[in-house]
Amino acid sequence: MKLGAYFAYAKKTFLGKSAYRFDHLMGIFSTVLQFFIFYEIYRALYGTGKSVDGITMSMVTTNFVLSLGLSTIFSPNDYFLPGRIWDGSISTELLRPMSFKGRMIAENVGESFFNLLFKFIPVLLIAIFTTGMEKPAGALNMVLFVVSAILGYGVLFTISFLVQMTAFWLINIWSLITIKDVLVNVLSGKMIPLWFMPVWMLGVLKFTPFASIYFTPVEIYLGQLSGRETLIKCLVQIVWIVIIFLIGNVLWNKGQKKLVVQGG
Amino acid sequence: MGDTLHLITVYSKTTAKAWFQYRVDAFLRSLAVFLREATGIIVIYFTLLKFDTLSGWNIYEMLFLFSLLFLTYGIMIIFFTGLRDFGKTVRDGSFDRFMLRPRGLLFQILFANADWFAAIGHGGLGITLFILSAGKVGIHWSGASICYYLITVAGGVLIQGAVFLFIATLNIYLLQTDSLKEMLYWDMRKFAGYPISIFNKFIQTLMIYVMPFAFVNYFPAQYFLRKEDMAAYPEVYIYLTPVVGIAMYILAYLFWRYSIRFYKSSGN
Amino acid sequence: MSFIEVNNICKKYKVSKRKSGIPGMVANLFVPKYENKEAVKNISFSIDKGEMVGFVGPNGAGKSTTIKMLSGILYPDSGSISVGDTIPYKQRKEYVGRIGVVFGQKSQLQWDLPVIDSFELLKAIYSVPDDVYKKNLDRYTELLDMSKFLKQPVRQLSLGQRMRADIAAALLHSPEIVFFDEPTIGVDVVGKENIRSFIRELNSEDKVTMLFTTHDMQDIEKTCNRLIIINKGSKIYDGTLDGVRKLHGSSRQLDVFFANDVSVEPIPNVEIAEVDKRHSQLIFDGKKVHINDLMSHLLSTYNVKDMSIAEPDIDSIIRKIYSKEKVA
Repeated sequence: MKLGAYFAYAKKTFLGKSAYRFDHLMGIFSTVLQFFIFYEIYRALYGTGKSVDGITMSMVTTNFVLSLGLSTIFSPNDYFLPGRIWDGSISTELLRPMSFKGRMIAENVGESFFNLLFKFIPVLLIAIFTTGMEKPAGALNMVLFVVSAILGYGVLFTISFLVQMTAFWLINIWSLITIKDVLVNVLSGKMIPLWFMPVWMLGVLKFTPFASIYFTPVEIYLGQLSGRETLIKCLVQIVWIVIIFLIGNVLWNKGQKKLVVQGG
Repeated sequence: MGDTLHLITVYSKTTAKAWFQYRVDAFLRSLAVFLREATGIIVIYFTLLKFDTLSGWNIYEMLFLFSLLFLTYGIMIIFFTGLRDFGKTVRDGSFDRFMLRPRGLLFQILFANADWFAAIGHGGLGITLFILSAGKVGIHWSGASICYYLITVAGGVLIQGAVFLFIATLNIYLLQTDSLKEMLYWDMRKFAGYPISIFNKFIQTLMIYVMPFAFVNYFPAQYFLRKEDMAAYPEVYIYLTPVVGIAMYILAYLFWRYSIRFYKSSGN
Repeated sequence: MSFIEVNNICKKYKVSKRKSGIPGMVANLFVPKYENKEAVKNISFSIDKGEMVGFVGPNGAGKSTTIKMLSGILYPDSGSISVGDTIPYKQRKEYVGRIGVVFGQKSQLQWDLPVIDSFELLKAIYSVPDDVYKKNLDRYTELLDMSKFLKQPVRQLSLGQRMRADIAAALLHSPEIVFFDEPTIGVDVVGKENIRSFIRELNSEDKVTMLFTTHDMQDIEKTCNRLIIINKGSKIYDGTLDGVRKLHGSSRQLDVFFANDVSVEPIPNVEIAEVDKRHSQLIFDGKKVHINDLMSHLLSTYNVKDMSIAEPDIDSIIRKIYSKEKVA
């Protein structure tokens, strides 16, 4: 299928987002607010102290700016598949020439690009001018940060993809998606920087993909990792993307068969 | 009066029957709501494992502070589900149907539906946190303090209900108010999980005078805990919750009445 | 003084305008544009108790707006409406207790619960006395053949069943006036007939006044004695169905089949459409061209094998009316 078609699809999503300008401004406001809450909490926690376990207030601030910022760009539509199963349009959707999965990504890319321009940048500017943030540890760090951030998006997207596949059997998966969001929020460093998690929790997190979403890019940005560590963590991100996607794909195929058997 | 009470009973029976048709789904939903709301608490728990106290408040005092927030919401949502979902009601034409029935509009919206999953999820969390913390924060329960607790919870319910009523009314003017609700209620509420003294003056002003969450849980908690940071605020604030609740509700109701007239004259 | 009096009502809406494409999107983010749309322009009519009136008009003509004003949901910008001695939009609670409304597209029943539960809820909402409720329920159940599915959840019903249940629901409180909006849409032929005969019986037995808005002209033909046509916010016809037919029903279509290949020569005042070499359709105005003359001309000029003549149906008459200005 021509790349042009996917681009058109992404553009359609991009334009569709603009229909509700009030909503949009409120979305920015909401993220900025969330950021300030964390900032104030840690300011109170730090009090007069300069650093805790070698982590300065400014590093904490950077963690929040980046993770919250990235989360405004990367918000997969968790109901892309479930919505179409619910209203029955899934059968006609699967008959279209464009690959369903391809469309899922194209739509999200369109949305993400919109968010990048009109949500992330405003949020970033406001956060920097009011609280200050660390500069990237180096030009290379900046580049690798972008790469790692995109990989982190891949992890988040495949997680959403995997959870969505369960809709073939459960139809109504609101509860599962909510629980997924809880896990991502708590364990990705977005609400509590992973430096402050108890050691046992960090041990558990090694077996989960959550730290790969936002925290790895943040660590790279701040120059916390050696060259070797950076490479390893990026590889870990890629490995998670592959594993989760493969599992999701198995469910996708099984789900398709189920649809055919039931007659859509 | 008796006829109205009878109708409320029928509404409640009908709603409960419809909600609990799907038992497994009901359980999962309540659990999901419970966990989602517990996110903030889980995060503060881990944070205080590292930092011990937040501005002098330890983990149990924080849990007590949180519990008031969830308890009042759980009660409030039983009545105000209709207002929470009012935007959808207007958009899909159900509001017109309400207008075709010989009953008060607000009455129908309040009593025709109740989100029991949300009530159980939030309310259950509130009760759990209360049980976990009430014994550990040194509260002396007397007739007076029990009375205070009940009245202040009622006041907190009214404050939040008034906000929901206000936002619901805005649906008559604006196509989409979901984001406004997000900002005015849910985002402000995130601040309410923490002692307002840690925030800057601007935010404190918002929390006390604009979207008075401080009266829902911070000042009531201070009645029992009397933390040091209370010194920055007038003592009387501890007792003002019911007053604030009633005042806000009356204002919101007047705005609602005015807007219904506007709805009928502007077309939709 | 008639039962329902509508005098010179007008209604305007504000509609938002949006340009397309990316420049339009950016522009709209900052400066939204609105324009005024006149939905109802000076409409007047009166309806007596027990009449069955059909409202017909293309989409966007102003029908729903007029009905909303009649049911008390909207105020007219100017003009007045009175029903008996009540003003619908000023005395809402008293007024709506005496009317029933059926929306074909949107059920008022509880989706997940048995039909009977919804009826009981409505009984409580309308404060229907026990004996009246029982009498109505038994009667409607029998006439609409609902006993088989009264205890089933609404989501399990077929469209026809749900529609019948919705009609019964709107009548449980014995309203004096009933508004029907697309009451048979999507229902099969048998179901439609069942609903129509029920409506006719209700009207003749109980003298219930009924107003229909619908696109289904058969609904109107089989139930109403009066037709009001609305187009672009104005009333363009108010009278009987026969009257409509007489005004515009003079158009005819003559299908001619020939024994050999024929190309029909032009005939004054007749439109000729060649279907194939041996079949032509002749369309003409019956008032201008005498059918006798036309047929004898064809028979004497060509080798005619068969002929058939068709009357236009009321749908095409209405459509023609929409595209013209005011009708006499």
